[in-house]
Amino acid sequence: MAKETLTEAIAVAKAPEDTVTKKSSSFVAWIADKGIFVFTAILILASMTFVDGFASLQNVTDLFHRAAPIGIVALGMTFVVITGNYLDLSVVAQAAAAGVILIAVSNAYNLITAFIVAFIVAIIFGLVNGIAVGYFKANAVIVTLSTTYIGLGLLRLLSGGSQVFGPFDGPIATFGTSKLGPFPYSAVVLVVVTLILTFVLSKTNFGFMVRSFGVNERSTRLAGTNTGVIVIGAFLVTSMAAMIGGFVLAAFSNTAVSNMATGYDFQALAAIIVGGTSVFGGKGSVPRTLLGVVFVSILSNVLVLSQISYGWQQIAIGSLIVFAVTVDALGRRVGKK
Amino acid sequence: MTIPVIEAKNIVKSFGGVRAVDDVSVSVMPGEIHAVVGENGAGKSTLMRILAGVETPDSGSVEINGTAIENSAKASIDAGISLVHQELSLIPEMTVAENIMLGSFPTAGGWTKTRDMKKIAADTLKEIGVEVDLDERISRLSVALRQFVEIARAVARKPKVLILDEPTATLTPAETDYLLDMLERLASQGLAIIYISHRIPEVFKICKKVTILRDGKLVTSESIDKLTPEKVIDQMVGRELKLDLSQRRQINDSGDVVLSAKGIKAPGVNGIDLEVKTGQIIGLGGLVGAGRTELIRAIIGADMKTAGKVTITSNGKKQVITGYLSAIRAGVAYVPEERRTDGLALGMTVAENIFLPNRKEVSPTGVMPKSKIAAFAKELSEKVNLRPPQITREAGQYSGGNQQKIVIAKWLGRKPAFVVLDEPTRGVDVGAKAEIHKLVKQLAEEGAAVLVISSDLPELLELSEIIHVVRDGQIAGTLKGSDATEKSVMSLAAGEKLVGA
Repeated sequence: MAKETLTEAIAVAKAPEDTVTKKSSSFVAWIADKGIFVFTAILILASMTFVDGFASLQNVTDLFHRAAPIGIVALGMTFVVITGNYLDLSVVAQAAAAGVILIAVSNAYNLITAFIVAFIVAIIFGLVNGIAVGYFKANAVIVTLSTTYIGLGLLRLLSGGSQVFGPFDGPIATFGTSKLGPFPYSAVVLVVVTLILTFVLSKTNFGFMVRSFGVNERSTRLAGTNTGVIVIGAFLVTSMAAMIGGFVLAAFSNTAVSNMATGYDFQALAAIIVGGTSVFGGKGSVPRTLLGVVFVSILSNVLVLSQISYGWQQIAIGSLIVFAVTVDALGRRVGKK
Repeated sequence: MTIPVIEAKNIVKSFGGVRAVDDVSVSVMPGEIHAVVGENGAGKSTLMRILAGVETPDSGSVEINGTAIENSAKASIDAGISLVHQELSLIPEMTVAENIMLGSFPTAGGWTKTRDMKKIAADTLKEIGVEVDLDERISRLSVALRQFVEIARAVARKPKVLILDEPTATLTPAETDYLLDMLERLASQGLAIIYISHRIPEVFKICKKVTILRDGKLVTSESIDKLTPEKVIDQMVGRELKLDLSQRRQINDSGDVVLSAKGIKAPGVNGIDLEVKTGQIIGLGGLVGAGRTELIRAIIGADMKTAGKVTITSNGKKQVITGYLSAIRAGVAYVPEERRTDGLALGMTVAENIFLPNRKEVSPTGVMPKSKIAAFAKELSEKVNLRPPQITREAGQYSGGNQQKIVIAKWLGRKPAFVVLDEPTRGVDVGAKAEIHKLVKQLAEEGAAVLVISSDLPELLELSEIIHVVRDGQIAGTLKGSDATEKSVMSLAAGEKLVGA
C-alpha cells in the first residue's frame, strides 16, 4: 500500500470544497480526445482532392477488404488496452495459428473440425495470457511476447513451416472472393465484429468492468470485484478477434503460413492508439478503433497510390504513433492538473 | 546573546485555499533540540518541508545565521539544513556506504572515488555511534538500522540544522533510547536539531524547547521547563474539553455479534481482538501510523493477515472471512481512507460508481438496463443527499464531501451488515461532515455493525459508543462513557499513562 506523506495528505484533505468543479480542458486534451475525427476528415478530403484513383468505389472497397483482418484483430485488442495492460503481442501467433488450422485441418478433416480446433487454441492463448497477467500480475508485454514465441514455435513444428493451400473451389476460397452487393465479405465481417464488440464493451456488465478496471483498478477491486477474471476476459476477447482475423486473412488468398500475421501486433496497436484509446487504460471505445483502422489504412493506401516506397510508409506509421502516444500522455497530464 | 542558527519568519502556506501553515515563526539555537508537536494535520511536516526548501511558502522567509536563504532544496542543503524524512528514502539495492554518500559522491574526472566514499561513510557512522557493514545492501538491514543510516546520510553533509520527522515511529523502546542518546550527543557538539514527534515522553526526555502547532497556527514556542506533558496535550488539542455528554451515543450492548476478529496479526498489527455487534458504532482512535488502517484491512481481507480468525454473521449465517471477496459477499462495506484513489473511480460517472458493487443485483442478466441503473443510482444519491444529484456527472467533478457521499451510497445499495469507515470525513466541509455523521448513525440504527477510524477526536467521540485506542499495532486501551474524552484518547495514543485508569 502506497503511503502518502503527511503533506500530501493535507493537500488532498484541504482541497477547496466547491460543490462541482468544471472539467479542465486544454487544446492538447482536446486533440487527444477528438483529434482522430478531425484528422480522419482532413485525410479523406485531402486524399479525394489530391490522389488520383482514391475516390473510386473499387479503391474504397479494396481498402476495407485489405484492412479487415488487421482491423478485426485491433478491435479485439482494444479490450486489453482499455484494461491498462498495454497490448497483446501474441495476436501475431494467434492469427497465424487460426489461419493455418483453418486450412490444414479442413483439408485433412472438415471445416467444422477446423473451427473447433481453432476455437480451442484461441481459448488456450487467452487463458494463458490472461491468467499470467490478470492473476499473477506479470507484465503483459513480456508474457505475450513469450506466448508469441511459444505459439509460433509450435506452429512451425506442426505445420513443418511450410505454406498450406486450400482447394481452389472450397468454401474458404469462395468466402475470400465473394461480395455482399459491392462489399467484400471480409468488410462485412469487420462491421459485424465492430457491432458485437461495441455492444459488449458499452452495454454489458463485463464491458463495464473492463472500463472500470481501466479507470481505477484499486477502487474496482475494493468494490468487491474479482479483477483477475476481468483481465482474463479481456484477453479472451482479443484471442477470439485474433482468430477471426486469422480466418479472414487466410481466406484472402486461400493459403496460410506461420509468419502471415507478422507486424499485426504493432499495426493493431497503431490503430487503437490513433483512434484515441488511451494506453493508460480506461479511456477508449471499439468504434474509435475502427476509425483508427480506417485512418491508418487510408494513409497506407495513399502512400501506395502515390508510389511512395514501403520504407516511407513505415516511417509515417511510426511517427504517427509517437505523435499519438505523446498527445495521449500530455492530454492525460493536463487533464489531471 | 548568540543568534539563532535557523529562523523561520512568518511562514504562510496554503493548499487550495486552506492554510496548512499560518504565519508561523520558529527559531532554533545551536546545540538546541527543539520539538515541534501537534495533532495529525497540524502543519508540522509542511513547515519542515518549507525549511528544507522542498515546498515553497506563500510568504515568509527562512534565515540561516541571520541571512535569508533562497527557497530551493539545493539552497537549503548548501546552507546546512538536512531533513530526515518520515518515509525512508534510501535505495534498497545499494550499499550502506553508497546510500550515505548518495547525492554527494566524491568524484574525480567523472569516476566515483570509492575509497574516499567509504572513508567518509565510515567516519560518519563512527560519529553517530552506529556499527554496520559498509558494503551491506540496505534491503538486508532492519528497519532501525535503516533509520540510523538515514540519519548518517544527513549527518555526512555536515549540517548546521538536522530535522527529524517522526524518527522513532518504527523503532522499539531500546532502539528509541539509543537514538535519543545519539541526538543528545550530536546536539552537545553544537548541532541544532528539530525533532518532530507525537510521542510526548520522548520530547520531555531530550528537548529544550517545544513549539506547538494547531490547525497550521503557532500555539506556543516555549522552554520545556515551563510545560508539563498534560499542558502540551491540552494545547495540541486546544478545543474546549467540555463535552456535552447527552449528545454521546448510549452504549448499546444488546445486539448480536456481527464481526468477530481474534488474534489478528499483520504487518503493523501485533495481535488484536475486536468485536462489533448489530447497531453498534465502535471507534478506533490513535495516531497516524499506529496500525489502525492495517488492522481493518487485515480484518476484511483487503491485505493479507499473518495470523488470526475473522467471522462475520449476517442474516443468521456465520461466515469465515478468507479474503476480500468473501468479506464483501458476507456483507462488508468498506469506505477507504483514500476516497480519490480507492473509494471511487473519479473518471467515471456517479451512476457508474454506484452501479459497480451492485451490478449483480441491478443487472442480473449481464446486459446493463440503462433506465434501471439510472433509477437505482438516483434513489441512492438522493438518500445520501448528493448535491447536485446529477448521476451522469463524473465523480471527480464533485467536492470531497459529495464524493464521500457517493462512496457511502454505493455501499448502501447492498444493505451491508458490517460497515468499515476509515477517516470518513477527512477533508470534508462542515456541512457535509454533519450529513455523513447522520448517515453513519442511521446505518447503525438500521441494524448494521459499524467500525469507524478517525483522527478527528470530536468526531470519534460523537460517533462511537466505545473507543479502542490503537498504538504500535496493539490496543492501548478501551474507553467508554465518561472515560472517553479528547484528552484520554490523545494520552493513550501518545503513550502517556492514562490518569486515573
